Amino acid sequence: MSRRHKISLSEEELIAALGKREKIAAEALYDMYSASLFGVISRIVIDTDTAEDVLQDTFVKIWNSFASYSAEKGRLFTWMVNIARNLAIDKIRSKDFKNQNKNQELENNVTFIDEKRNTVYNPELLGIKDLVEKLKPEQKSILDLVYFKGYTHVEAADELGVPLGTIKTRLRMAIVQLRKNFN
Amino acid sequence: MKVEEVKAYIESGILELYVLGDVTPAERLEVEAMAVKYPAVKDELAAIEKSLELYAKANELEPDDSRRENILNSLAYNSDESQISGLVNEARVLPIVKAQSNFYKYAFAASLALLIASVIALLNVYGRLKESTNLVASLQNQNHEIASTVSLKDGEIEVLRDPSFKLLKLQGTKISPAAAITVAWSPVKKKVWIDMATAKMPSNDKEHQYQLWALVAGKPVDLGVFDSDTTSRDMKEMKSITLADAFAVTLEKRGGSPTPTMDEMMVIGKF
Repeated sequence: MSRRHKISLSEEELIAALGKREKIAAEALYDMYSASLFGVISRIVIDTDTAEDVLQDTFVKIWNSFASYSAEKGRLFTWMVNIARNLAIDKIRSKDFKNQNKNQELENNVTFIDEKRNTVYNPELLGIKDLVEKLKPEQKSILDLVYFKGYTHVEAADELGVPLGTIKTRLRMAIVQLRKNFN
Repeated sequence: MKVEEVKAYIESGILELYVLGDVTPAERLEVEAMAVKYPAVKDELAAIEKSLELYAKANELEPDDSRRENILNSLAYNSDESQISGLVNEARVLPIVKAQSNFYKYAFAASLALLIASVIALLNVYGRLKESTNLVASLQNQNHEIASTVSLKDGEIEVLRDPSFKLLKLQGTKISPAAAITVAWSPVKKKVWIDMATAKMPSNDKEHQYQLWALVAGKPVDLGVFDSDTTSRDMKEMKSITLADAFAVTLEKRGGSPTPTMDEMMVIGKF
Protein backbone atom coordinates (compact mmCIF):
# COMPACT_ATOMS: atom_id res chain seq x y z
CA MET A 1 0.00 0.00 0.00
CA SER A 2 2.85 2.39 0.70
CA ARG A 3 4.90 2.24 -2.46
CA ARG A 4 5.54 5.96 -2.30
CA HIS A 5 8.17 7.20 0.08
CA LYS A 6 6.40 8.94 2.92
CA ILE A 7 7.54 12.32 4.15
CA SER A 8 8.19 12.63 7.85
CA LEU A 9 9.29 15.68 9.87
CA SER A 10 9.74 16.31 13.55
CA GLU A 11 6.72 17.98 15.17
CA GLU A 12 8.70 21.24 15.52
CA GLU A 13 9.76 21.25 11.85
CA LEU A 14 6.24 20.41 10.78
CA ILE A 15 4.71 23.20 12.85
CA ALA A 16 7.22 25.71 11.45
CA ALA A 17 6.51 24.61 7.86
CA LEU A 18 2.74 24.70 8.47
CA GLY A 19 3.07 28.27 9.68
CA LYS A 20 4.64 29.17 6.32
CA ARG A 21 1.93 27.25 4.40
CA GLU A 22 4.51 25.33 2.40
CA LYS A 23 3.42 22.41 0.27
CA ILE A 24 6.00 20.15 1.91
CA ALA A 25 4.17 20.77 5.21
CA ALA A 26 0.87 19.55 3.78
CA GLU A 27 2.55 16.46 2.32
CA ALA A 28 4.26 15.64 5.60
CA LEU A 29 1.06 16.33 7.53
CA TYR A 30 -0.84 13.94 5.30
CA ASP A 31 1.77 11.20 5.36
CA MET A 32 2.26 11.40 9.11
CA TYR A 33 -1.32 11.75 10.31
CA SER A 34 -3.89 10.85 7.64
CA ALA A 35 -4.14 7.20 8.72
CA SER A 36 -4.51 8.05 12.42
CA LEU A 37 -7.13 10.71 11.68
CA PHE A 38 -8.91 8.49 9.18
CA GLY A 39 -9.02 5.73 11.81
CA VAL A 40 -10.92 8.05 14.14
CA ILE A 41 -13.19 9.46 11.40
CA SER A 42 -14.01 6.00 10.01
CA ARG A 43 -15.27 4.76 13.35
CA ILE A 44 -17.76 7.62 13.50
CA VAL A 45 -18.64 7.82 9.79
CA ILE A 46 -18.92 4.24 8.54
CA ASP A 47 -19.29 4.83 4.80
CA THR A 48 -15.76 4.90 3.37
CA ASP A 49 -16.39 7.56 0.69
CA THR A 50 -18.13 9.83 3.18
CA ALA A 51 -15.38 9.23 5.72
CA GLU A 52 -12.79 10.21 3.10
CA ASP A 53 -14.78 13.38 2.34
CA VAL A 54 -14.67 14.20 6.05
CA LEU A 55 -10.92 13.53 6.02
CA GLN A 56 -10.58 16.06 3.20
CA ASP A 57 -12.68 18.62 5.11
CA THR A 58 -10.48 17.94 8.13
CA PHE A 59 -7.27 18.72 6.24
CA VAL A 60 -8.76 21.87 4.72
CA LYS A 61 -9.85 23.04 8.17
CA ILE A 62 -6.49 22.19 9.75
CA TRP A 63 -4.73 24.04 6.94
CA ASN A 64 -6.92 27.14 7.01
CA SER A 65 -7.23 27.52 10.76
CA PHE A 66 -3.66 26.59 11.63
CA ALA A 67 -3.08 30.10 12.98
CA SER A 68 -5.41 29.24 15.88
CA TYR A 69 -3.23 26.29 16.95
CA SER A 70 -0.92 27.02 19.85
CA ALA A 71 1.92 24.59 20.53
CA GLU A 72 2.03 25.77 24.14
CA LYS A 73 -1.46 24.44 24.76
CA GLY A 74 -0.82 20.93 23.49
CA ARG A 75 0.34 18.54 20.83
CA LEU A 76 -0.50 19.11 17.20
CA PHE A 77 -2.25 15.75 16.93
CA THR A 78 -4.55 16.52 19.89
CA TRP A 79 -5.70 19.68 18.14
CA MET A 80 -6.14 17.89 14.79
CA VAL A 81 -7.98 14.84 16.12
CA ASN A 82 -10.50 17.09 17.87
CA ILE A 83 -11.14 18.88 14.56
CA ALA A 84 -11.54 15.52 12.80
CA ARG A 85 -13.88 14.15 15.48
CA ASN A 86 -16.05 17.30 15.48
CA LEU A 87 -16.37 17.33 11.67
CA ALA A 88 -17.23 13.61 11.69
CA ILE A 89 -19.92 14.11 14.34
CA ASP A 90 -21.31 17.13 12.45
CA LYS A 91 -21.50 14.91 9.39
CA ILE A 92 -23.50 12.07 10.98
CA ARG A 93 -25.80 14.58 12.68
CA SER A 94 -26.53 16.47 9.44
CA LYS A 95 -30.01 15.92 8.00
CA ASP A 96 -29.12 14.53 4.59
CA PHE A 97 -26.68 12.08 6.13
CA LYS A 98 -29.32 10.78 8.54
CA ASN A 99 -31.74 10.24 5.67
CA GLN A 100 -29.22 8.23 3.69
CA ASN A 101 -28.21 6.07 6.58
CA LYS A 102 -31.42 5.37 8.48
CA ASN A 103 -30.83 1.68 8.66
CA GLN A 104 -27.22 1.92 9.64
CA GLU A 105 -26.67 0.90 13.23
CA LEU A 106 -23.70 2.70 14.70
CA GLU A 107 -23.31 0.72 17.88
CA ASN A 108 -20.59 -1.69 16.98
CA ASN A 109 -18.57 0.44 14.59
CA VAL A 110 -15.18 -0.40 15.92
CA THR A 111 -15.42 -4.15 15.59
CA PHE A 112 -17.46 -3.77 12.41
CA ILE A 113 -14.70 -1.79 10.76
CA ASP A 114 -11.97 -4.07 11.93
CA GLU A 115 -13.83 -7.06 10.55
CA LYS A 116 -14.78 -5.39 7.28
CA ARG A 117 -11.34 -4.09 6.35
CA ASN A 118 -7.92 -5.35 6.95
CA THR A 119 -6.25 -2.59 8.86
CA VAL A 120 -2.78 -1.72 7.72
CA TYR A 121 -0.05 -4.14 8.53
CA ASN A 122 2.48 -2.07 10.36
CA PRO A 123 5.19 -3.94 12.28
CA GLU A 124 5.86 -0.89 14.48
CA LEU A 125 2.31 -1.11 15.78
CA LEU A 126 2.19 -4.83 16.55
CA GLY A 127 3.28 -4.26 20.14
CA ILE A 128 0.93 -1.37 20.61
CA LYS A 129 -2.04 -3.39 19.40
CA ASP A 130 -1.23 -6.19 21.80
CA LEU A 131 -1.08 -3.72 24.64
CA VAL A 132 -4.38 -2.14 23.66
CA GLU A 133 -5.91 -5.59 24.01
CA LYS A 134 -4.75 -5.59 27.63
CA LEU A 135 -7.28 -2.88 28.49
CA LYS A 136 -10.14 -4.17 30.62
CA PRO A 137 -13.36 -4.45 28.57
CA GLU A 138 -15.09 -1.67 30.53
CA GLN A 139 -12.04 0.59 30.01
CA LYS A 140 -11.93 -0.12 26.27
CA SER A 141 -15.66 0.47 25.80
CA ILE A 142 -15.59 3.88 27.50
CA LEU A 143 -12.41 4.90 25.69
CA ASP A 144 -13.82 3.87 22.30
CA LEU A 145 -17.14 5.60 22.95
CA VAL A 146 -15.46 8.90 23.81
CA TYR A 147 -12.41 8.76 21.60
CA PHE A 148 -13.70 7.01 18.51
CA LYS A 149 -17.40 7.66 18.50
CA GLY A 150 -17.39 11.23 19.69
CA TYR A 151 -19.59 10.74 22.73
CA THR A 152 -19.26 13.35 25.46
CA HIS A 153 -18.66 11.80 28.86
CA VAL A 154 -22.22 12.78 29.79
CA GLU A 155 -23.61 10.91 26.76
CA ALA A 156 -21.37 7.93 27.55
CA ALA A 157 -22.66 7.79 31.15
CA ASP A 158 -26.18 7.77 29.77
CA GLU A 159 -25.34 5.11 27.18
CA LEU A 160 -23.60 2.80 29.64
CA GLY A 161 -25.98 3.51 32.52
CA VAL A 162 -23.24 4.42 35.01
CA PRO A 163 -22.71 7.58 37.11
CA LEU A 164 -20.67 10.50 35.70
CA GLY A 165 -17.95 10.12 38.33
CA THR A 166 -17.48 6.47 37.39
CA ILE A 167 -17.19 7.41 33.73
CA LYS A 168 -14.46 9.95 34.52
CA THR A 169 -12.57 7.47 36.69
CA ARG A 170 -12.80 4.65 34.15
CA LEU A 171 -11.69 6.95 31.37
CA ARG A 172 -8.73 8.08 33.41
CA MET A 173 -7.83 4.51 34.36
CA ALA A 174 -8.02 3.44 30.71
CA ILE A 175 -5.61 6.15 29.70
CA VAL A 176 -3.32 5.43 32.66
CA GLN A 177 -3.27 1.79 31.52
CA LEU A 178 -2.35 2.90 27.98
CA ARG A 179 0.46 5.03 29.36
CA LYS A 180 1.90 2.13 31.30
CA ASN A 181 1.95 0.08 28.16
CA PHE A 182 3.28 2.77 25.84
CA ASN A 183 5.93 4.26 28.04
CA MET B 1 -2.75 25.17 46.03
CA LYS B 2 -1.15 22.36 48.02
CA VAL B 3 0.56 19.38 46.40
CA GLU B 4 -2.33 17.11 47.47
CA GLU B 5 -4.86 19.43 45.90
CA VAL B 6 -2.94 19.51 42.62
CA LYS B 7 -2.82 15.70 42.75
CA ALA B 8 -6.56 15.52 43.37
CA TYR B 9 -7.14 17.88 40.44
CA ILE B 10 -5.07 15.61 38.21
CA GLU B 11 -6.92 12.52 39.40
CA SER B 12 -10.36 14.05 38.93
CA GLY B 13 -10.22 13.06 35.25
CA ILE B 14 -10.67 16.64 34.02
CA LEU B 15 -7.33 16.57 32.16
CA GLU B 16 -8.39 13.54 30.08
CA LEU B 17 -11.63 15.28 29.18
CA TYR B 18 -9.66 18.42 28.27
CA VAL B 19 -7.47 16.47 25.85
CA LEU B 20 -10.60 14.89 24.37
CA GLY B 21 -12.11 18.36 23.87
CA ASP B 22 -14.99 17.42 26.21
CA VAL B 23 -14.90 20.41 28.60
CA THR B 24 -16.79 23.68 28.92
CA PRO B 25 -14.97 26.90 27.92
CA ALA B 26 -14.61 27.80 31.62
CA GLU B 27 -13.09 24.39 32.43
CA ARG B 28 -10.75 24.75 29.47
CA LEU B 29 -9.43 28.10 30.72
CA GLU B 30 -9.03 26.61 34.19
CA VAL B 31 -6.99 23.64 32.90
CA GLU B 32 -4.80 25.93 30.80
CA ALA B 33 -4.18 28.21 33.80
CA MET B 34 -3.34 25.17 35.97
CA ALA B 35 -0.93 23.85 33.33
CA VAL B 36 0.90 27.18 33.29
CA LYS B 37 1.06 27.27 37.09
CA TYR B 38 1.86 23.63 37.96
CA PRO B 39 4.46 21.63 36.01
CA ALA B 40 2.86 18.40 37.31
CA VAL B 41 -0.36 19.30 35.47
CA LYS B 42 1.54 20.17 32.30
CA ASP B 43 3.46 16.86 32.42
CA GLU B 44 0.26 14.90 33.04
CA LEU B 45 -1.40 16.57 30.03
CA ALA B 46 1.60 15.76 27.84
CA ALA B 47 1.50 12.09 28.91
CA ILE B 48 -2.27 11.84 28.24
CA GLU B 49 -1.87 13.46 24.83
CA LYS B 50 0.97 11.17 23.88
CA SER B 51 -0.87 7.97 24.87
CA LEU B 52 -4.04 8.99 23.04
CA GLU B 53 -1.98 9.81 19.96
CA LEU B 54 -0.43 6.35 20.12
CA TYR B 55 -3.87 4.83 20.70
CA ALA B 56 -5.06 6.51 17.50
CA LYS B 57 -1.97 5.21 15.74
CA ALA B 58 -2.75 1.68 16.97
CA ASN B 59 -6.19 2.04 15.40
CA GLU B 60 -5.12 3.73 12.20
CA LEU B 61 -6.74 3.10 8.82
CA GLU B 62 -5.24 4.07 5.47
CA PRO B 63 -7.52 6.16 3.28
CA ASP B 64 -7.52 5.30 -0.42
CA ASP B 65 -4.26 6.33 -2.13
CA SER B 66 -6.14 8.42 -4.70
CA ARG B 67 -7.30 10.73 -1.89
CA ARG B 68 -3.83 12.02 -1.18
CA GLU B 69 -3.59 14.06 -4.39
CA ASN B 70 -7.19 15.33 -4.07
CA ILE B 71 -6.66 16.50 -0.54
CA LEU B 72 -3.26 18.07 -1.18
CA ASN B 73 -4.67 19.89 -4.23
CA SER B 74 -7.55 21.32 -2.21
CA LEU B 75 -5.19 23.32 0.03
CA ALA B 76 -4.02 26.86 -0.76
CA TYR B 77 -0.26 27.10 -0.62
CA ASN B 78 1.79 30.12 0.15
CA SER B 79 4.16 29.38 -2.72
CA ASP B 80 1.29 30.13 -5.13
CA GLU B 81 1.00 33.64 -3.79
CA SER B 82 4.60 34.49 -3.05
CA GLN B 83 6.15 33.67 -6.40
CA ILE B 84 6.42 37.29 -7.51
CA SER B 85 8.35 38.38 -4.47
CA GLY B 86 10.08 35.10 -3.82
CA LEU B 87 10.98 34.17 -7.37
CA VAL B 88 14.63 33.55 -6.61
CA ASN B 89 13.94 31.54 -3.48
CA GLU B 90 11.13 29.53 -4.99
CA ALA B 91 13.18 28.64 -8.04
CA ARG B 92 15.05 26.04 -6.00
CA VAL B 93 11.99 23.99 -5.21
CA LEU B 94 9.69 24.59 -8.18
CA PRO B 95 9.74 22.24 -11.15
CA ILE B 96 11.69 23.83 -14.01
CA VAL B 97 8.80 23.91 -16.49
CA LYS B 98 6.47 25.60 -14.05
CA ALA B 99 9.14 28.05 -13.00
CA GLN B 100 9.74 29.04 -16.63
CA SER B 101 6.12 29.56 -17.58
CA ASN B 102 5.57 31.50 -14.40
CA PHE B 103 8.75 33.45 -14.98
CA TYR B 104 7.52 34.81 -18.31
CA LYS B 105 4.08 35.48 -16.94
CA TYR B 106 5.45 37.45 -14.03
CA ALA B 107 8.20 39.06 -16.11
CA PHE B 108 5.49 40.32 -18.48
CA ALA B 109 3.39 41.59 -15.59
CA ALA B 110 6.42 43.25 -14.05
CA SER B 111 7.38 44.89 -17.38
CA LEU B 112 3.88 46.19 -17.85
CA ALA B 113 3.80 47.59 -14.32
CA LEU B 114 7.20 49.19 -14.92
CA LEU B 115 6.01 50.72 -18.20
CA ILE B 116 2.92 52.23 -16.56
CA ALA B 117 5.01 53.56 -13.70
CA SER B 118 7.51 55.08 -16.18
CA VAL B 119 4.79 56.83 -18.18
CA ILE B 120 3.30 58.29 -15.02
CA ALA B 121 6.74 59.43 -13.87
CA LEU B 122 7.47 60.94 -17.29
CA LEU B 123 4.21 62.92 -17.33
CA ASN B 124 4.96 64.09 -13.84
CA VAL B 125 8.45 65.26 -14.79
CA TYR B 126 7.14 66.90 -17.98
CA GLY B 127 4.61 68.89 -15.94
CA ARG B 128 7.32 70.07 -13.59
CA LEU B 129 9.60 70.99 -16.50
CA LYS B 130 6.84 73.16 -17.99
CA GLU B 131 6.31 74.84 -14.64
CA SER B 132 10.03 75.50 -14.35
CA THR B 133 10.24 76.93 -17.87
CA ASN B 134 7.39 79.31 -17.12
CA LEU B 135 9.05 80.31 -13.92
CA VAL B 136 12.36 80.96 -15.69
CA ALA B 137 10.58 83.12 -18.32
CA SER B 138 8.78 85.18 -15.68
CA LEU B 139 12.03 85.56 -13.71
CA GLN B 140 13.78 86.73 -16.89
CA ASN B 141 11.02 89.30 -17.44
CA GLN B 142 11.36 90.52 -13.89
CA ASN B 143 15.10 90.63 -14.29
CA HIS B 144 14.71 92.79 -17.43
CA GLU B 145 12.34 95.11 -15.65
CA ILE B 146 14.66 95.43 -12.71
CA ALA B 147 17.65 95.98 -15.01
CA SER B 148 15.85 98.73 -16.93
CA THR B 149 14.64 100.32 -13.70
CA VAL B 150 18.18 100.25 -12.38
CA SER B 151 19.60 101.88 -15.51
CA LEU B 152 16.86 104.48 -15.36
CA LYS B 153 17.63 105.18 -11.71
CA ASP B 154 21.32 105.40 -12.63
CA GLY B 155 20.39 108.08 -15.15
CA GLU B 156 18.37 109.95 -12.55
CA ILE B 157 21.20 109.81 -10.03
CA GLU B 158 23.55 111.11 -12.71
CA VAL B 159 21.24 114.11 -13.28
CA LEU B 160 21.24 114.96 -9.58
CA ARG B 161 25.01 114.60 -9.21
CA ASP B 162 26.01 116.34 -12.40
CA PRO B 163 26.67 120.07 -11.65
CA SER B 164 26.05 120.98 -15.32
CA PHE B 165 22.33 120.23 -14.83
CA LYS B 166 20.15 123.17 -14.05
CA LEU B 167 16.82 122.65 -12.30
CA LEU B 168 13.93 124.86 -13.34
CA LYS B 169 10.54 124.77 -11.73
CA LEU B 170 7.78 125.54 -14.25
CA GLN B 171 4.86 127.33 -12.57
CA GLY B 172 1.16 127.12 -13.37
CA THR B 173 -0.43 129.72 -15.67
CA LYS B 174 -3.79 131.43 -15.32
CA ILE B 175 -5.72 128.48 -16.69
CA SER B 176 -4.09 126.04 -14.24
CA PRO B 177 -2.54 127.88 -11.29
CA ALA B 178 -1.93 124.67 -9.32
CA ALA B 179 0.07 122.94 -12.05
CA ALA B 180 3.83 122.57 -11.69
CA ILE B 181 6.65 120.46 -13.09
CA THR B 182 10.43 120.47 -12.65
CA VAL B 183 12.75 120.40 -15.68
CA ALA B 184 16.42 119.41 -15.45
CA TRP B 185 18.56 120.63 -18.35
CA SER B 186 22.23 120.31 -19.09
CA PRO B 187 23.36 122.54 -21.94
CA VAL B 188 26.73 120.75 -21.82
CA LYS B 189 25.27 117.24 -22.14
CA LYS B 190 22.39 118.52 -24.30
CA LYS B 191 19.95 116.61 -22.16
CA VAL B 192 16.50 117.47 -20.83
CA TRP B 193 14.66 115.50 -18.13
CA ILE B 194 11.37 116.11 -16.46
CA ASP B 195 10.71 114.88 -12.92
CA MET B 196 7.48 112.90 -12.91
CA ALA B 197 7.68 112.27 -9.17
CA THR B 198 7.16 115.94 -8.29
CA ALA B 199 4.99 116.85 -11.30
CA LYS B 200 1.56 118.27 -10.48
CA MET B 201 -0.20 118.18 -13.81
CA PRO B 202 -4.00 117.73 -14.16
CA SER B 203 -4.75 114.34 -15.71
CA ASN B 204 -5.13 114.39 -19.50
CA ASP B 205 -7.67 112.42 -21.54
CA LYS B 206 -6.88 109.89 -24.23
CA GLU B 207 -7.12 112.34 -27.11
CA HIS B 208 -4.67 114.80 -25.58
CA GLN B 209 -1.09 114.80 -24.26
CA TYR B 210 1.19 117.33 -22.68
CA GLN B 211 3.98 118.68 -24.88
CA LEU B 212 7.20 120.23 -23.58
CA TRP B 213 8.60 123.19 -25.44
CA ALA B 214 11.85 125.09 -25.21
CA LEU B 215 11.77 128.75 -26.15
CA VAL B 216 14.91 129.58 -28.08
CA ALA B 217 15.20 133.21 -29.10
CA GLY B 218 11.40 133.57 -28.88
CA LYS B 219 10.71 130.49 -31.00
CA PRO B 220 9.18 127.30 -29.57
CA VAL B 221 11.11 124.03 -30.12
CA ASP B 222 9.35 120.66 -29.56
CA LEU B 223 10.93 118.57 -26.80
CA GLY B 224 8.43 115.64 -26.88
CA VAL B 225 5.15 114.62 -25.30
CA PHE B 226 4.19 113.01 -22.00
CA ASP B 227 1.15 111.99 -20.01
CA SER B 228 0.23 113.05 -16.52
CA ASP B 229 1.07 110.18 -14.19
CA THR B 230 0.69 110.78 -10.48
CA THR B 231 1.94 107.29 -9.56
CA SER B 232 5.29 107.59 -11.35
CA ARG B 233 8.46 107.96 -9.26
CA ASP B 234 10.70 108.35 -12.31
CA MET B 235 12.39 111.06 -14.26
CA LYS B 236 11.61 111.09 -17.94
CA GLU B 237 14.20 112.02 -20.55
CA MET B 238 12.95 114.34 -23.29
CA LYS B 239 14.46 115.45 -26.63
CA SER B 240 17.83 117.22 -26.42
CA ILE B 241 18.52 120.89 -26.78
CA THR B 242 21.64 123.06 -26.36
CA LEU B 243 20.07 126.49 -25.95
CA ALA B 244 16.90 127.58 -24.17
CA ASP B 245 15.58 130.78 -22.61
CA ALA B 246 12.49 129.19 -21.14
CA PHE B 247 10.51 125.94 -20.96
CA ALA B 248 6.75 125.58 -21.22
CA VAL B 249 4.16 122.81 -21.34
CA THR B 250 1.00 123.00 -23.41
CA LEU B 251 -1.88 120.59 -23.78
CA GLU B 252 -1.96 119.34 -27.34
CA LYS B 253 -3.68 116.61 -29.34
CA ARG B 254 -2.20 113.16 -28.72
CA GLY B 255 1.20 112.80 -30.36
CA GLY B 256 1.97 116.47 -30.18
CA SER B 257 1.63 119.50 -32.48
CA PRO B 258 4.24 121.22 -34.69
CA THR B 259 3.52 124.54 -32.94
CA PRO B 260 2.24 125.15 -29.42
CA THR B 261 -1.39 126.08 -28.79
CA MET B 262 -0.75 129.15 -26.67
CA ASP B 263 -4.27 129.13 -25.13
CA GLU B 264 -3.54 125.76 -23.61
CA MET B 265 -0.24 126.65 -21.93
CA MET B 266 -0.26 124.97 -18.52
CA VAL B 267 3.10 125.87 -17.01
CA ILE B 268 6.06 128.04 -17.90
CA GLY B 269 9.46 128.80 -16.39
CA LYS B 270 12.27 131.12 -17.43
CA PHE B 271 15.94 131.25 -16.56
